[in-house]
Amino acid sequence: MRIFRIIYRVVVESLIGLKQSGWSNWFVISILATALILFGFIMQVTLTLKTLVNSWGSQLEISVYLKDSCKPYPEAQKIGAMKGVEQVLVIPKEEAWQKMRKSFSVAYVDNPLPNTLHIKLKSPTYVEQLAPIIKAMQEVENVRYPLKVARIINQIRRFVEIGGLFVMLAMSAATLIVIGNTIQLVIQSKQREIEILSLMGVSHFYIKGPFILQGILYGTSSALIASGLIAIVNLNCEKYVKLQLAYLAPSLTNNLEFGLTPIYLMLFGLGIAVGATGGAITSGRFIKL
Amino acid sequence: MILFQNVNKDYNGRPALSNLNLHIGKGEFAFLVGPSGAGKSTMMRLLYREELPNSGQIFMGGVNLNKLPTYQVPRLRRRLGIIFQDYKLLPKQTVFNNVAYVLRALGVDEKNVEKRVISALSVVNIESKKNAYPTELSGGEQQRVGIARAIVNGPPVLLADEPTGNLDPATSLEIVQLLAEISQRGTTVLIATHDEPIVNALRKRVIALHAGQIVADVDSGVYELKGNS
Ligand SMILES: Nc1ncnc2c1ncn2[C@@H]1O[C@H](COP(=O)(O)OP(=O)(O)O)[C@@H](O)[C@H]1O
Ligand SMILES: [Mg+2]
Repeated sequence: MRIFRIIYRVVVESLIGLKQSGWSNWFVISILATALILFGFIMQVTLTLKTLVNSWGSQLEISVYLKDSCKPYPEAQKIGAMKGVEQVLVIPKEEAWQKMRKSFSVAYVDNPLPNTLHIKLKSPTYVEQLAPIIKAMQEVENVRYPLKVARIINQIRRFVEIGGLFVMLAMSAATLIVIGNTIQLVIQSKQREIEILSLMGVSHFYIKGPFILQGILYGTSSALIASGLIAIVNLNCEKYVKLQLAYLAPSLTNNLEFGLTPIYLMLFGLGIAVGATGGAITSGRFIKL
Repeated sequence: MILFQNVNKDYNGRPALSNLNLHIGKGEFAFLVGPSGAGKSTMMRLLYREELPNSGQIFMGGVNLNKLPTYQVPRLRRRLGIIFQDYKLLPKQTVFNNVAYVLRALGVDEKNVEKRVISALSVVNIESKKNAYPTELSGGEQQRVGIARAIVNGPPVLLADEPTGNLDPATSLEIVQLLAEISQRGTTVLIATHDEPIVNALRKRVIALHAGQIVADVDSGVYELKGNS
């Protein structure tokens, strides 16, 4: 098939271009991979926070952490009598600890968890009304309620997103420039060939294709490196991060799961887009047909 | 096959071609002569759509080049064989690969590449040097390779801009005679040149250009165009 032979030739030409670029390849790939790794982690952080907020934001719950010195059940009855409280669930520290060790297989340390009360309220309006009152009680160490946490997390998330976006834009621009410089050198060394091919009526696709493909190969290799790194980090740190979250906010770590596939797809999409754009802009600027 | 209608071309407001009208029929062989700066190369560049005229129409095989979209320029050029004064060969490729390069880029399969390259090389009689590199060849041999590359795709039109400009007189004559032979097979050939002896030796159609205007157009002419009309 004619088209396959042409594509084969374009691939061969772009590999020749890669070979010619030598160490610049590694420069380009390391910059682009760094940008993608950053992007991947930002994505993951925002997605995690989003998932957390979504699963908490709607709950009519206040978690109350009791001081170790007091007994949980009398405390539960006291709070159960308050207006707007529907139900109080006591979670003794031993029970919480056993549950967590079952699901996370943590190292053998002293139980760090407090006795906890889960208070279910009749309507969301009571959440912010009762929380300060309960917090002021003497036996109460701390109070957490999803609405407040969700609000803080949303602020953090917005900050991470905006900051990440700027960093991403800057890194993409840097990558485009580096790709441009690298490919421009290949174009310059092939100027005569390009002129002859153009005069002989070789298609623009064939002439410019290798340079765009070179950019795409940069994007693909960078995305591969970035995905690999993110996968490794996730495999090794997922449990640790979950444990930390569970420690910070027990019972709120449900529904934390989301697949990494969308992140990997985004990395490849973005890497290929940046690479192809770099190749296309450069070949458009330096190849006059 | 080639038609110029009231063509004007300026460079920065200075006219290079003025109100040019010309027709060259299918299978014709013509010399385009004139002193340096007369506008010969400009006409060639217009014909292979390297440039567009400021006004007027240019037709190539019935196609109006003004209306040809950029993406179709490669298709036009595949129907032209272009020959250059400096040969424009790829120094790092063998003779065979220089001629084969474009065919491969067009996706021709290797069996046909081989067949067509060998056939083109034998037309210009340089088959024996197919594995040599351009730097190992004489000027005349390099131009033969240039011609082989121009005809390998079987184009109906050959355009040659000063093809003998870098060659000695005897070799120059061989090269134009080769082009005349190729024309015998039905190819339209237009040679831009200011090489008097080759024009006078062949006694073909001579179109004389001076300061961007056609000042004479004679069948079986000579360079001076004396006593031939
Ligand atoms: N790219 C260009 N830019 C400006 N002027 C040009 C260019 N090409 C040709 N010219 C001018 O156009 C005129 C015709 O040039 P050219 O076609 O090269 O003549 P010839 O090939 O007959 O020697 C000359 O005056 C030349 O200086
Ligand atoms: Mg000229």
